[in-house]
Amino acid sequence: MSNENSVMTKEAVKAPETKAPKAPRKGHRLGGSRVGHNILIAILCVIWLIPIVWLVCMSFSAGDGMYVASFFPKQWSVSHYVKLFQPDTVNQFPRWFLNTFKIAVFNCIIQTCFVLMVAYATSFGKFKARKPLMNVAVMLNLFPGVLTMIAVYFLLREFGLTNSHFGLLLVYSASSGLGYLICKGFFDTVPRALCEAARIDGCNEAKIFTRIVIPTSRPIIVYTIINAFLAPWMDFVFAKMILNAGISSQYTVAVGLYAMLEKSLINSYFTIFCCGGILVSIPIAILFFIMQKFYVEGVTAGSVKG
Amino acid sequence: MSKITSAIGGFFGAIGRYFADFGKAMAKGDIFVKLSLIWWGAGYIARKQYVKGIIMTLLEAGIILFSIFFAPQYVSKFGTLGTVQFEQVFDVNTMQMVPNDYDHSFLILLFSLFCFVVWTVTFFICISVVKNAYRLQLRAQSGGRINNFREDIADYFDKKFHVTLLSLPVLGIVIFTVIPILLLVFVAFTNYDQYHMPPAALFTWVGFDNFKSLFTSGGLTVSFSYAFGRILGWTLVWAFFATFTTYFGGILMSLLLNSKKTVVPKLWRLLLVITIAVPQFVSLLLVRYFFANNGIVNTICQNIGLTGLLRNWGLINTTYIPFLTAPIWAHVTIIIINIWIGVPYQMLVATGILMNLPSDQLESARIDGANKFQVFRYITMPYMFQVTAPTLVTDFVKNINNFNVIFLLTDGVYTTTNQMMANSQAKETDLLITWLFNLTQNYYNYKMAAVIGIVVFLICAVFTLIAFNFLISGDKEGVYN
Amino acid sequence: MKKLLVMLLCLTMALSLVACGDNGDGKESNPPAGSDGTNPPETQGAQNPPASGDTISLTMWGAEEDQTLLTELIADFKAAYPDQKFDIQLGVESEATAKDTILTDPQAAADVYAFASDQLPALADAGAILDLSTVEPALQSLAGKTIADIQAANTQAYNDLATYNGKYYAFPSVADGWFMFYDGNVLSEDDVKDWDTMVKACEAAGKKVGFTFCSGWYNACLFYGAGFNTTLNADGTTSCDFNGTSSKGVKGVDVVKYMQNLASSSAMMALPEGGTSAAFTGGECAVIFSGCWDSNAAQEAWGDNYAAAPLPSFTINGTSYAAAPVKSCKMVGVNPFSKQTGWATLLAEFITNQQSQVKRFEQRAAAPTNIEAAKDPAVAVNKGVAALNAQASTAIIQSVGGNYWSPTASFGEQIAQGTIGSDDAAIQTALDDMVTGVTAPVA
Repeated sequence: MSNENSVMTKEAVKAPETKAPKAPRKGHRLGGSRVGHNILIAILCVIWLIPIVWLVCMSFSAGDGMYVASFFPKQWSVSHYVKLFQPDTVNQFPRWFLNTFKIAVFNCIIQTCFVLMVAYATSFGKFKARKPLMNVAVMLNLFPGVLTMIAVYFLLREFGLTNSHFGLLLVYSASSGLGYLICKGFFDTVPRALCEAARIDGCNEAKIFTRIVIPTSRPIIVYTIINAFLAPWMDFVFAKMILNAGISSQYTVAVGLYAMLEKSLINSYFTIFCCGGILVSIPIAILFFIMQKFYVEGVTAGSVKG
Repeated sequence: MSKITSAIGGFFGAIGRYFADFGKAMAKGDIFVKLSLIWWGAGYIARKQYVKGIIMTLLEAGIILFSIFFAPQYVSKFGTLGTVQFEQVFDVNTMQMVPNDYDHSFLILLFSLFCFVVWTVTFFICISVVKNAYRLQLRAQSGGRINNFREDIADYFDKKFHVTLLSLPVLGIVIFTVIPILLLVFVAFTNYDQYHMPPAALFTWVGFDNFKSLFTSGGLTVSFSYAFGRILGWTLVWAFFATFTTYFGGILMSLLLNSKKTVVPKLWRLLLVITIAVPQFVSLLLVRYFFANNGIVNTICQNIGLTGLLRNWGLINTTYIPFLTAPIWAHVTIIIINIWIGVPYQMLVATGILMNLPSDQLESARIDGANKFQVFRYITMPYMFQVTAPTLVTDFVKNINNFNVIFLLTDGVYTTTNQMMANSQAKETDLLITWLFNLTQNYYNYKMAAVIGIVVFLICAVFTLIAFNFLISGDKEGVYN
Repeated sequence: MKKLLVMLLCLTMALSLVACGDNGDGKESNPPAGSDGTNPPETQGAQNPPASGDTISLTMWGAEEDQTLLTELIADFKAAYPDQKFDIQLGVESEATAKDTILTDPQAAADVYAFASDQLPALADAGAILDLSTVEPALQSLAGKTIADIQAANTQAYNDLATYNGKYYAFPSVADGWFMFYDGNVLSEDDVKDWDTMVKACEAAGKKVGFTFCSGWYNACLFYGAGFNTTLNADGTTSCDFNGTSSKGVKGVDVVKYMQNLASSSAMMALPEGGTSAAFTGGECAVIFSGCWDSNAAQEAWGDNYAAAPLPSFTINGTSYAAAPVKSCKMVGVNPFSKQTGWATLLAEFITNQQSQVKRFEQRAAAPTNIEAAKDPAVAVNKGVAALNAQASTAIIQSVGGNYWSPTASFGEQIAQGTIGSDDAAIQTALDDMVTGVTAPVA
């Protein structure tokens, strides 16, 4: 039942490339409406960027504190950025950045492998437990993660893995196989004829996976990598729970920056928090810009099948 | 309905067949097959699969050792969750405390569960070992070829490749998701709270008491069921708006950007994507101060006279606009902020999907004289909807459990003026999940948190079931494979 | 080929994951007596009882802003016991949130930790703080102090705060009550004697009075002043009589009316919980109710003319009452699950003794709880400390359970936002509702 539809699947995969919006932009007759249209977009973009611009403004303002009287600071300065890179007892941003980067890279590797493995097995595998397993996965995904936090914590503690980055890495990556659905959706569109041909050529499943399916799945791999890379930068709930010895140099960026907003600190550290926020965003933004095309293709192809 | 019954029927049928096979193997198998039930290696070694036999024997020995030396100390106390209270005395000579051999209820629960999981797996391994032994016996009798070890290994990269692929991820999921969830379910039936907190104190089973106190008034807090109802209501409202505003917002935004009239669409898209790049905890915490009572937005509103205007209209009675500090105001602000956060992402998704929109349909519609709205209403939306219905459902569930947005925007900012809510340590802007987090983090009410967790799960499960039955007709998987 | 490499890498990672799990299992199969009380990894080296020559590993938690000070105090402590080798690790945990982190897992908490006095009942109930009498022999032999000596050295009020159910649990370190900061340029000493005159003076000057309505720590001061009372019961519930008539014959409704009247003034500014420091930098306020921790902020905002005074008095039905702020302090407790309880206690004692408190005042402007330290000339002239001392007779010890905070916070917010209504019946209902929440049974 795997290859009679291969013709149509091929189409489905090719579709993103062939129908990319490279349609010629004809000069529009209704110039006025065109101007209005672009002004509308410009306004929307401005609205969307206001908070970000404020973030930048705050990070470059000379004063402290978060309650300021004017949108743009009266005096500009880079002093907060300088402070950000002069670690004190509260702020160890460079360390946090390295910690998070380290965790993010390893999380990327493990999570991507796990997701691809599960997705391949559920998409290409033909074993009896496949459907039941997928149903169980749907069920498990319905439980909110925050709930199980305390149990995960005690598990890790019994293995002596709290207050270690490895423990945190496990929390992020160990059950990442559950997020396989979009990837599976993508794999479902990979033409089965390709695999069949490879099988006739004497390839085993492992080779089909590594030599055929993975090379044709660049968008979804990029998508998975980006998501896996981002998780450690975003999470502070689990990180705060696992890194509970209060050793500031162990923190990830999220935990560290969040701690800056503690009531007794926020007045002197809010602007430094803003600097940290921007510096974290820059690599992520660059990653997004470079990978945008794949990201869109990945999420699209995946969600088409969901 | 019939689908469900047939599914259930099929399920039990499968279970029946599973055990029938096992029974047949036990009944018709030779002595080695029967012996495999006790000694897993027997069946393999009898068919000269020595390596496999040794591996299975070692595995079995490991499990037996585990069951003798590790499991009893916890499982034997599972019924009571421990009886020996923690005590310790100070030894002046060593300057250290000497504790007694006390019971730790939580660890008893945790490791008992761990043992149960191990034994369940053992049970299934055992059955499959017997079946395998029988299969080998049949093959040997019919003169079929029996794989040697190398061929077995090769099988794990070919016919059984899915086993190789799945084993590690599934192991991870079992340890880091399944066991914690089971633990949570068990905790819902105990009295694990601030006054029964291990190691200093023990907790024990209380049956359905916690569920009763959730659904009868005056159980846990004086207004628990009231607060639960209110919070559940807002959780559903929030999930609905959060899902659909960003969904339609994303589609409209992408139509707008991908229109032929747009100049430099890539630039605009980049600008919007920047908002995704800023981590949520930064952007949300920032926005929270942006909209604070004495924050910059309020200052500006005051300066341009908007605050005074709203005051004159009777919409507010404070000297500031309570964007995040009054009910309704906060609800609306939160949804709007969520649009800000969510639309760029949905825009990316929609852009990708709309690229695949069959252009012949669009053309023929245009030839038929359909206007833009009609095209959107009768062609674009149905297509989008058909493609994204499953993600819409998962998004809704995700939003029910959207911890980040609510927690980061309201924690420590919003003080409820509803006494009934306050008496339950809740506030109007709480989702079930943030309320739960508060109950566990600030009040250590783990038992009730577990109960609410189960209820959240049930709500999500019911919703998902209904949605998948109504929205998504048929299994699309077959279309592709 | 590249793909293969990636796969290999992935496999290695996976293997290490499994290997780690195995390690864990191996550790688990040890008899539980030793492994049950596992501490954070840093202290795991000290499994065996140390000979006197062994290094003593300790962990300590203190507030972010105290880190520099604590590092110095630790050095002093090491110097005080030159014969003993120490490995003391200092971690960050704010006193305000110490309870939350500790109670999540007391066994992973630091050996010595600082916390705010209102958290003591919860910590003691959960068995996460050591009854100091158990380690008295160690204190006596090495620091030469008995519990009675320590109690004698501290102001009685703070000893009371460190005592729960008759047991002495912690070493008081910082007197932490709140009082009134005001801008000496705007208000005179007479202006701030009474709430009404103070608010009027601020109205006239176009300045604001910053008060944290939405916290039961602040907003109960008028109730307590009028003779109302709260008590913490043995079962963890709170008794509260705010909705009745006080021992001084004042009706709760009248107190609320007075507060509503205050809140309706254009000069009153309701601060968010923990928003006092920001209010100083905001520049709108001439009066802010806060504590010594804001001394530096006040100095920066108002210059040398900043002043501190006891809470003003208020008048209900012609009788004047002194508002009664909550007396509280920060203290240092010892973790009962510490591997080195004796030394942990000594460290806790050391960082709260007279010299350490003086040092703490010099660096952090923190008011001492130690009687001798408070007499130190430098300390005595401090405006905040003077105000605290001046209101020592009116301040009360707030004895409440966990259910007190959320309902009273909401009640204060309702007064601030003016949502209750002004007729007696409505106020009484609101009070009753609030008291129901405060006195609710603890499930």
